[in-house]
Order: sequence, then structure tokens, then C-alpha cells
Amino acid sequence: MLRKTLTEDSFYLNLGPQHPSTHGVLHLLLKLDGERILECKPLVGYSHRAHEHMGQNRTYLQFLPNTSRMDYLGGLCYNHAYCLAVEKACGIQAPERARYIRTICAELNRISSHLLWFGAYLMDLGAFTPFLYAFDDREDILAILGEITGSRLTYSYCRFGGVSRDLNQNFRDGVKAFIPKLRKRLKDYRTLVTKNVIFLNRTKGIGVVSPEQARDWALTGPNLRACGVAYDIRRAEPYSVYPEMEFEIPTATGGDCYDRYWVRMAEMEQSLRIVEQALGRLPDGPVKTAGVPQWLEPPAGDYHFSYESPRGHLGIYFVSDGGRVPLRMKWRTPSFNNLSILSEILPGTLVADTIAILGSIDVVIPEIDR
Amino acid sequence: MSFLEDIRPVLAQRFGSENLSDQERARCGYDLRLALDQERLLELAGLLKEAVCYLEYITAVDQGQVLDLLYFFGRHDQPPFRLQVRVAMPKGVAVPSLANLIRAADWQEREVYDMFGQRFAGHPDLRRILLPDDADFHPLLRDFKPGPQHGGEVVNLERK
Repeated sequence: MLRKTLTEDSFYLNLGPQHPSTHGVLHLLLKLDGERILECKPLVGYSHRAHEHMGQNRTYLQFLPNTSRMDYLGGLCYNHAYCLAVEKACGIQAPERARYIRTICAELNRISSHLLWFGAYLMDLGAFTPFLYAFDDREDILAILGEITGSRLTYSYCRFGGVSRDLNQNFRDGVKAFIPKLRKRLKDYRTLVTKNVIFLNRTKGIGVVSPEQARDWALTGPNLRACGVAYDIRRAEPYSVYPEMEFEIPTATGGDCYDRYWVRMAEMEQSLRIVEQALGRLPDGPVKTAGVPQWLEPPAGDYHFSYESPRGHLGIYFVSDGGRVPLRMKWRTPSFNNLSILSEILPGTLVADTIAILGSIDVVIPEIDR
Repeated sequence: MSFLEDIRPVLAQRFGSENLSDQERARCGYDLRLALDQERLLELAGLLKEAVCYLEYITAVDQGQVLDLLYFFGRHDQPPFRLQVRVAMPKGVAVPSLANLIRAADWQEREVYDMFGQRFAGHPDLRRILLPDDADFHPLLRDFKPGPQHGGEVVNLERK
């Protein structure tokens, strides 16, 4: 694990690829002087599964189940994004009811992703209790989503032109009970964690990213909003029913670990608001457009679509020659760029802070590796 | 006045209006496409960096003899702005790297190199990023055929 260099008084430490704090198979090559980091090289690609290559060798529908396997914590969001991208290219419009259902599910998925991050992050910092609470909350969401999607993590719920099946009463009851429960829990988390002195000492002023750095490294999502840039695709390039929803974009100004934590916690409250509004206004009607062919053939041309995933700007780019299989399928996954900034912000910090900084960025490795 | 209205005449004047084409955002998701010669790539990137744009991603499309390199620039702004820069490179010719100017280009260029074999002149650390270092293929090139040596045959549909 340790490799001593002969010429200098420093040594290399391999953090990962199998280390519980790296949240998957991430490998950080750290050059250390004692406890202080001189250099950091993130090495990725351990879970590369050639999703883009698969996308170019399958029809649009056949590729649909792949989408939730890229980011296994935001699978429904990826489903949603892919369906919206292809629908836009083919000129398909999902029925109103389906658009609401998708939004509700995507926001629940965002909350579950943030909850898992919250629990795991606090565990990285040495607090065990929040983890148990967060997983209890998250389990509720997985049960609610499982009710209509039939899956726990790797959803294939959205379809081109709608969703696979309608909501049922269990789902409604589940969500209605969950919203007040999580609101109460978020209050508990504030008293348990947000004002906790140990937590503050571990995160305030640690891993500071300036707005200029964030732009230079193409950071997006909560990591960018923690630097004070109110950029959210749901507002900047609204899709689905977001234009009709009232919600705020939480931002902080410090750009440190604490602010990234704070932004995600505030986002959960906003997501609850969206779920509540969408469920209250859910229109009647079909959940699937009739007559969408199994083999979609988008007109020749190239298409870009942006989506706000729980981790930031998800971009889908594909080129069609008018056939059933895309010529090129590119996924701009947010964690890819979010992680790359580590080589800039880690040098100068201590090894113990590495875990706090890495955790605060909220990366999902399979999404980087694709 | 939107940023698009601001930057459009600047790009048209500096890089030639014949190279600039308006795109229908509602259909394809970006506002402008600029066909650019590789020699002027750094100049353009400098201009966009000054205009507080960010590099969303770099990718490529294999067109047979040439590789179309695509750079997408966006902006944290309202109304949204997205520019696609298209640099057609004959295969095997290196293109100037943006990594020293825009840090996000570092990993993005490495990915394009990994997947397409495109070299970037001046890149500080042009290694493979997702595939193993000892891989001897670039899997998103069109003439790449996966076989047992890549971990098994791919069962797929034939193109129409």
C-alpha cells in the first residue's frame, strides 16, 4: 500500500480502489508529505461497462434499461432524461398525467439519492446514527417507488410517450404519509447534524471551491450551487412540468463541504414541495401515448438534451441517420467533471480531510465510468 | 439583451458568418453551431472563457476519413445558451489541447483520446482514462469490432 520514493521525503498512498470511503471502485493516488497531501491523481474506469458503445448498437428502446444502470442512485432520473431526449427528437408528447407522474417519481428519486448521500457522508465523518435514520427514510421511498415500478434501484419505468403503468392508491397513501414524516426528520437532522460542533469543525472551510474554479472544472449540480451560482437545469432549461411548479434553488456562498451539505439538505425540502404540488394537481387521463412504434426512427440529425440529475448537469447527445440505431450516443455524466476537481482542491489538505472532501462531492463511480 | 444576441455577431465577425449556423433549440437542444479550423480553437476557447462560458463536454463522431470533434459550451445564465463547435480532423492528426486553458478539458480530452484515438497537442497528461492503460484499441471508432479478446462477443442487432 505504501511506496516510498527514493529521492524525496514523500511517499505515495493508494486510497482505493477498494476502500469503504471511496463509495465504489475509485482509486486516488495520493502523494503525501506526512499527513499532508502534495498531489492527488484520481484514477477511474474500474467499472467501465461500455454503455455508450452499447447505445450505438441497440435500438432506442433496447437501450432504455441501460440508463438506470449508469447512475444507480438516480436511475429514475436517467430513465426520465433518456425518454425526454428521444421523445423530443421524435416529436412524441407524453400525456399530461404521465408528465406529472414522471416528475413525482424523479423528485422522489432525487430525495432518496440525497438521503443515501447524507447517511453515507456522515458515516464517513464518523457519525453512525444519521446513517440509520437516513436509510429508514430512504427505504420508504424505495418501497413507494417499488409499488409502481417493480424495482428498487435499476428502474425502467419511463417509456417513450409515457410511463409503464399508472399510480395506485398505495403509492398515493405512501407519498402522503412520507412527506410529513421526512419534513419532521429534516428538522431532526438539523438539530442532530447541521448545528453539531464536531460536524462543523470537520466541514466548515474545508475543500473550498470558488465559483471561478467551479466553472473552469465544469462543476454542476449542488457542488456548483454551493459556490453561489444558482444554476439548475430545471429552471434554466425547464422540461416536463417544472415550469408549472413552485420551488426555490437553494444556494450557499462558501463553496466548502458544509455548504455542499447544506445545499443538498435544502434541496430535499424543495423536492418535497414539488412532489406535494404535483400530486395535488395530478390530472386524469391516460399515462401512455397510443401508437408509439416499437422501433423509433428519429429524423437524421444530432440532438442534445440537458437534465438536472441529483448530481448535476446530465447531457445526452446522440446522432441519428434516420435509422433505428443511433450513430453516436454520448452521455455527459455530472460526476465525471465533479470528480476531476479533486486534483486541484486536495493538495495542501490533510488525509483525514480527503474523506470529508471526496464525500461532499457526492460522486457515483459507475456513472463516471459508464 | 441575451448573451446569444451579444455573442452571435462577435463569432460571425471573427470566425466567418459562413461558418456559423443558427440551430433550432427546441429541436436539437443548442443555439449555434460553429464550424472551426483547428488552428483557431484556442483563440475561440479563450474568447468563450472570457465571456464566462463553461465547457460542458467534448465528444467526437467518427465520419470515416475524418473525426468530427464536438465541443459544447454553455453558460450559467438565463436565457440559456449553448454553442456547438465542430472541428473536422483527419484521423491521426493532433488537435491543440484546451487543457491548459480550461481545466475541465483535461479529462474530457482524455476520454476522447481513449475512445477515438484522437491526440491532443500540448495536453499535460494524455493517458487513457476509462479503459486499461494497456488496451490497444479505441472502441468508439466505427471499424472497431468487439471480439473475445475484449471480454466476449457482443450480441447485437444489425444496422437497418
